[in-house]
Amino acid sequence: MKNNKRNRINKLLEIPQEVYSNVPKIVITGFDEMVIENFKGILEYEEYYVRINTHIGIININGYNLNLENMSDDDIKVSGKIESFDIERIE
Amino acid sequence: MFIKILFSYLSGYLRIEVTGYYIERFINLCNSNHILTWNIKKGKNSNILLNIEIKKLKEVIKLAKKTKCKLKIKNKKGLPFLLYRYKKRKIFAISLLTILILIAISSNFIWNIEIKEEEGAQIENIEQDIQEAGLKVGLLKSKVNTKEIINKVRLKREDIAWMGIELKGTNAIIKLVKATEKPDIVPDNKYSNIISNKNGIITKINAQKGTAQVKVGDTVKEGSILIGGWMEGKYTGVRYVHAEGEVEAKVWYTKNKTIKYKSVEAKETGNQEKKYGIKFNNFEINFNKGVSKFNFYDTMISEKKFQIIANFYLPISIVETTYKELENTETTLTFEDAKQLGIQQLEEELNNEIENKDTIVNKNINAYEKEDSAEISVTYEVLEKIGTNEEI
Repeated sequence: MKNNKRNRINKLLEIPQEVYSNVPKIVITGFDEMVIENFKGILEYEEYYVRINTHIGIININGYNLNLENMSDDDIKVSGKIESFDIERIE
Repeated sequence: MFIKILFSYLSGYLRIEVTGYYIERFINLCNSNHILTWNIKKGKNSNILLNIEIKKLKEVIKLAKKTKCKLKIKNKKGLPFLLYRYKKRKIFAISLLTILILIAISSNFIWNIEIKEEEGAQIENIEQDIQEAGLKVGLLKSKVNTKEIINKVRLKREDIAWMGIELKGTNAIIKLVKATEKPDIVPDNKYSNIISNKNGIITKINAQKGTAQVKVGDTVKEGSILIGGWMEGKYTGVRYVHAEGEVEAKVWYTKNKTIKYKSVEAKETGNQEKKYGIKFNNFEINFNKGVSKFNFYDTMISEKKFQIIANFYLPISIVETTYKELENTETTLTFEDAKQLGIQQLEEELNNEIENKDTIVNKNINAYEKEDSAEISVTYEVLEKIGTNEEI
């Protein structure tokens, strides 16, 4: 009930969702760079495959020469030739 | 993020290789322990390469033990390691330091004197006078008393209207304004005549004060009185005044020239040879010895001061000597060609002399043919205002 009220206020004030909740924000710049905010951890990391855990699901990235640049507490930058990515929902 | 990496460059960072089965767990642990990691790259086997800050190494070793990973330092980067490397190169460090000190010391001296004259005005022997007044190359900047030097030079020379010395870096810039020679102006309360300063024929005379001494059509010579500084009245007698008035006259400007038909001219063939040398103040070192390989040549020497940044000169200059090969060519002109050439040259000279070209009334050209040359004379007839005041 309390959470619901806060949600309503935040929506009213147009605060970005990734700021007040744990919802991840994914930004892809070109085809070679991807920034994920609000991530939880890395599940798997290979040169051709990155699996990133978030609070609402898992993001799978496929590509070549994938590097994890600039990792900090709640955002991660994946660079390299990204071929595809998909989302696994956890309900 | 970028700033954090920059700071870690200053404090030093490590590139480490982590090998093990639970690499993802290791990365996640690093993240949850607030250890900054960047440029994570997957190796061929079950290993990764990543950068960490140097002060977090102990924590990282603990985490690696926890996840049963092997840790290996691949590379040490950053400023502390760079400085450590240069610690061993003592001679390099010492020479770098001495050069810096030498430059710092030499920046306290004047190594170049630049004289800037206003609009191409030529002031002769000014360099010598400035040197005598106490501004020399190689002097300590703090010992230069600009006011005293300016006073000394101005006392000595009368043709300088203004002088300024500016010390910029190792460069002393002297700015000069030449005093224009003013004609002696006779004060209004003194009696004066107007006299002619040129030869010519009077075309207009208008005496406002004084008595006109010449008529229109008269030929006057330099120095003769045009308007006399006195007035005669029937009852008052002779009264002296300060003469005023306007006199216009036809004045001739004539120039002569003899142009020979046969002339020998030295022309550049385009071949040139350059030789270099270094000059320390007055001590010169030439890199090439001997004279030029050409038989007949022109020599040009240019000196360039060594400059680190703008207005920061050092007492070293590079001397470039250029030898240009010359070749004698004989040209033969016909009378017509010589005439044209002569007229062209003379007209140019006359045009430089006459300020206002609208006042030219008539041009007269004479050419005489001789055995080996052509004699040309050009005369310009110009309407001009003549006359200057002179005290009686």
